[in-house]
Amino acid sequence: MNALEVKNLSKKFGSLKAVDDASFYVPEGSIFGLIGRNGAGKTTTIRMMMNIIIPDSGEIILRGAKVGQEFRNKVGYLPEERGLYKRMKVIDTILYFAELKGKTGREIHKKANAYLKRFELFDRRNSKIEDLSKGNQQKIQFISTILHDPEFIILDEPFSGMDPINTNLLKEVILEEKQKGKVIIFSTHLMEFAEKMCDHIAMIDHGKIILNGSLVDIKKKYAQKNITLNYEGNISFLSSNPMVEKISDFGNSTGIRVKEEHFSQDILRLLLQNNVIVKKFDSNDISLQEIFVELAGKEDVEIKKEVSNV
Amino acid sequence: MFNYRTLAVIKRELREKLMSKSFIIMTILLPVFMFGIIGIQTLLISYEGDNGSQIEIVTQSDEMINSVKEYISAEEFVKSGSYKITYNVTNDIEEYVNSKKPLLVEEKLDGVIFIPNSALKDKKVRYFAKTPNNRSIPDKISTPINKFLIDQYFGTRNLSRDELDFARLGVDFAGFKVSEKEEFEEQGYGNLILAYVFMFLLYISLLMMGSMTMQSVQEEKNSKIVEVILSSVNSKELLAGKILGSSITGALQMMVWLLPVLTIISTTWFVLPPEFTFDITYGHLIYFLINFFFGLVIFLGLFATVGSVFETAQEAQSGMWPVMMLIMIPFFIALSMMRNPNNQIAEIASFLPFSTLMVMPGKFVLTDVPVWQLFASMAVNVLTILIIFPLAGKIFRVGILRSGKKPSLADIIKWLKYKY
Repeated sequence: MNALEVKNLSKKFGSLKAVDDASFYVPEGSIFGLIGRNGAGKTTTIRMMMNIIIPDSGEIILRGAKVGQEFRNKVGYLPEERGLYKRMKVIDTILYFAELKGKTGREIHKKANAYLKRFELFDRRNSKIEDLSKGNQQKIQFISTILHDPEFIILDEPFSGMDPINTNLLKEVILEEKQKGKVIIFSTHLMEFAEKMCDHIAMIDHGKIILNGSLVDIKKKYAQKNITLNYEGNISFLSSNPMVEKISDFGNSTGIRVKEEHFSQDILRLLLQNNVIVKKFDSNDISLQEIFVELAGKEDVEIKKEVSNV
Repeated sequence: MFNYRTLAVIKRELREKLMSKSFIIMTILLPVFMFGIIGIQTLLISYEGDNGSQIEIVTQSDEMINSVKEYISAEEFVKSGSYKITYNVTNDIEEYVNSKKPLLVEEKLDGVIFIPNSALKDKKVRYFAKTPNNRSIPDKISTPINKFLIDQYFGTRNLSRDELDFARLGVDFAGFKVSEKEEFEEQGYGNLILAYVFMFLLYISLLMMGSMTMQSVQEEKNSKIVEVILSSVNSKELLAGKILGSSITGALQMMVWLLPVLTIISTTWFVLPPEFTFDITYGHLIYFLINFFFGLVIFLGLFATVGSVFETAQEAQSGMWPVMMLIMIPFFIALSMMRNPNNQIAEIASFLPFSTLMVMPGKFVLTDVPVWQLFASMAVNVLTILIIFPLAGKIFRVGILRSGKKPSLADIIKWLKYKY
């Protein structure tokens, strides 16, 4: 069953088509990744899902019904550009966000304290936000995102600007929430993260969804002619081999694309005959990055930061 | 639009504003500041800097100079020694002033006043000084000289002292307020002062609360916190919550400022001198507060919208001036009522959107305003709110989420057409 379905969503800003007839679905109990380079339309899509901006056309279906205010109350949202009231106290900040979701009272206060203890911020609960380090402010932001126990957690570029400790902490929280059966949706331009964490993905480019489905299926579909290779030695003889369509160097590993599926065993044999030390040979693997490059063209995936966030 | 989310925003605004040091300080200091300004103004005007002036008074005959001396010496400023006056007689004033030229130019001598014999008929006196535009010296000296000339003129005509005193008197208008009430009340300056206080408080408070609200919207916009908030609250709820929160704060502050007025009309603890007593009722005070609350809602809505559009305070200046004009022009119209409460511009302005907020309170303190006019003014305010808020809400919704280049007026008009 799908928790969330996005149907034919479109949004124009002036002459710019930010999101162009986008449709995808998010299955129940999954970690879903909305991936694409910066400026592809991820944030606009998420903002429309959150009802922060209204789409020109299309609709978002939540468990069979159109989203409205009740969806907002069930969502924990961590936007890409994060901010807090600088002069507000830590505990007041957390409780205020819960109150906006309709959660007040002693229970939520207790829970807030529990989270503060877990994130080692309990002794700072009466400090002002501006007196906290950036890393600690990020922690406050997560707590605010999940304190009201949302059914959906939407994270827009959650790892941008985050220090390694908080990155791990956030991953931990995401997996924990997944265990509880929550639906987690995140957008990112970092393919490796998406690859490691997501069950399902939708790939967006120039406002259009170019791929949607489970990661396993997608990989299976695209991996058949792909070999991921880690090696020592010289493989330059392969580039002129008629079985090979393309060789791409990804730094840590090399991707080889063959013309026919059954060529991969021949390639392995050839490598061994040529005294190449094979450390890893995966004939059924393709990285998201490769798929993305194949689908969206050769433009650099890691593009500079978005200039404007309309 | 009004639900627990709006309430949560209102509560946060109240907590933040009411507890802030600047709010408490302003609430206490503004009255001090206001009376301070009036005090300093009075002091500056009354301080003429003419202490230690050296003056020479010159006539054409000994007889006249002795007589003038008598009148002038009787004046307080001469007795106290703040003016040093010497007396002289000459036949040729030009030559006399020439001889004093070096002293006058170096300002060792502040002025030479020449009273010719002809002054007895035409009261024309000549004043020689380096800066004859400095009026403080002639203004002071003219009183005893005038007295002397009048006495000289009528003294030869067999008039009694009483008759002379009568001739010197100005006309004294006593103002009586005619109203529905039984008796005519003699009215002092009280209501005039009160109207001034009301308008000043309105003016200062709207500008102050306005810029505070604008800053707080800009803080939310720039710190990007607004996106998290908008994931729980829609932009109308946020705007309504912020404006109502700030308006309640402003109204509470105004109540504190009005406490002295309330104390005066409700108790006998303070007895004002008769010329300062004022005539207003509780109804007036309540109307004033309600009117002020409407004013806050309208203007804070405009200020919040301006804040949502621009990223920096500098950029916001260009959006702020039209709003400031809507406060300042009515303020000046209201001030013009001090001279004539029934002037036509004020009469019209008291029913126009925006200006009615400033002008009507002054009008009802200074004149008897029929009740229907008060209600008409309220109706105009409600209509203004109904018309500007949907527009403000649209601009706010687009503006608050956008960043980058400073938007032009054309951009903002385009936003109104966006489907948001």
